[in-house]
Amino acid sequence: MLPDPAAMCEAVVQGDAQAAERLARAAVDSDADLVAAVEQGFAAGLRRVGELWEAGDYFLPELVQGAEAMKAAMGVLLPALRGRTGPSRRGAVVIGTVAGDLHDIGKGLVGVLLAAHGFEVHDLGTDVPVEAFVARARETGARIVAASALLITTMQAQRELVRAVTAAGFERPPAVLVGGAPTSAAWAREIGAAWAENALGAARVALELTA
Amino acid sequence: MTLAERLARGPCLRLDGGLGTMLLARGLASGAAPEPWNVERAADVTAVHRAYVEAGAEAVQTNSFGGHPARLARHGLESRCEELNAAAVAAARAAGAAYVIGDLGPTGEYLPPVGKGEPDEWRRGFERQARALAQAGADGLHVETLSDLREARVALAAARLAAPGLPVLVSLTVERRPRGFFTLMGDPAVKALRALHEAGASACGLNCSITSADMAVVARQALDELPEVRLVFQPNAGQPEAVDGGWRYAQPPEDFARDLAPLSARAAALGGCCGTDPRFVAALARAVGAA
Repeated sequence: MLPDPAAMCEAVVQGDAQAAERLARAAVDSDADLVAAVEQGFAAGLRRVGELWEAGDYFLPELVQGAEAMKAAMGVLLPALRGRTGPSRRGAVVIGTVAGDLHDIGKGLVGVLLAAHGFEVHDLGTDVPVEAFVARARETGARIVAASALLITTMQAQRELVRAVTAAGFERPPAVLVGGAPTSAAWAREIGAAWAENALGAARVALELTA
Repeated sequence: MTLAERLARGPCLRLDGGLGTMLLARGLASGAAPEPWNVERAADVTAVHRAYVEAGAEAVQTNSFGGHPARLARHGLESRCEELNAAAVAAARAAGAAYVIGDLGPTGEYLPPVGKGEPDEWRRGFERQARALAQAGADGLHVETLSDLREARVALAAARLAAPGLPVLVSLTVERRPRGFFTLMGDPAVKALRALHEAGASACGLNCSITSADMAVVARQALDELPEVRLVFQPNAGQPEAVDGGWRYAQPPEDFARDLAPLSARAAALGGCCGTDPRFVAALARAVGAA
């Protein structure tokens, strides 16, 4: 039984971090399916925020507030998820936004959904150089390196990342997963990476890559 | 005629175009701060300005977009704020333009909830930069590419205080959204321009981010709705396009000129931003002459 996914969704849409945190705590204190709480509640809210942005009703401050509310909820949910499922059922994912690119929100949502699905997520933040992705992947034995790029001027870094991962000579090379507005299936094919169109898609592809 | 008089009375002032890409072509390292070149490679900076003057620009804008102390600090250059901004004016002055406009870009910081910017600190930095540009002999100041009306207001007030007597231009950068043209923070373009005018900007306008075709659309709205305001427009050379191993701006200068030239009868100043070069300024001058 999931305590009110609509309220979870609304807390994120309104950018109300306190409400989001309170609802997350209520979910943890109950026997609720926490993955469902993320997917049907908070992540659905963040998707709605994205739709309001697309429609021209929301601007950057609303996006950021929505993401902050999501983060507040995940701060409560992630430790609980890990407690229930044990650490890293599916292995480590290193995720970040490529060098020169400061877009945080889509990448953050992918990280959250991967964590909800049992990945051990290492979020390197934004403006991440290729070397940092590779170094952290080596440290963590990551199965996936996920790189977001929101600009035509920065997406070339995804190609460099694929090359760097290949050149790094991993014993068990991580898969490279790319995404972001200017990217496409054709682009991913061209550079030799896996691709997801959006955050839910990224979780699905990540599960396939590590099946 | 002073710059203030020219902006107030016209005819439409011919501004320059993009600086960064031209400096990169002369060997500026990608990601490096361009401002030290005002001292170390002053001849190169002057040569870029001169190319614009030769293409028909009447005013050149100094190589000091990143000259706010908060931005210089990212490169460990904060202590050289006065030196680098003064050198920017000298390098521009040497190019022989009728007017040298001291350029001020955004702090690169945002107010909560987006960031942790502190308007008081911004103000002190803008004052410092504006004073350095004014004391070095700039004919006016242009605060440009601001994506938050609140930061623009802080910068405008600081520039007016630090450079009394100099005209201050303020340009916001906007995006085309489903409900019109807005800044990143959600300020509607025309309303924001009116606010800047009322806050004392000598001229205000829009630059960067959008194509000349979109700029022509929003410029007409602004010119129609704000007939009492002196307006300035500097669009990009189209949108960057992915090309093998990189990206580039691919708009032909003639298209850019065709979009902008019809604005010249009513605008205070026209020029280019990212991706534009002297060919764009020359094409615009030709198109305005023919219009």
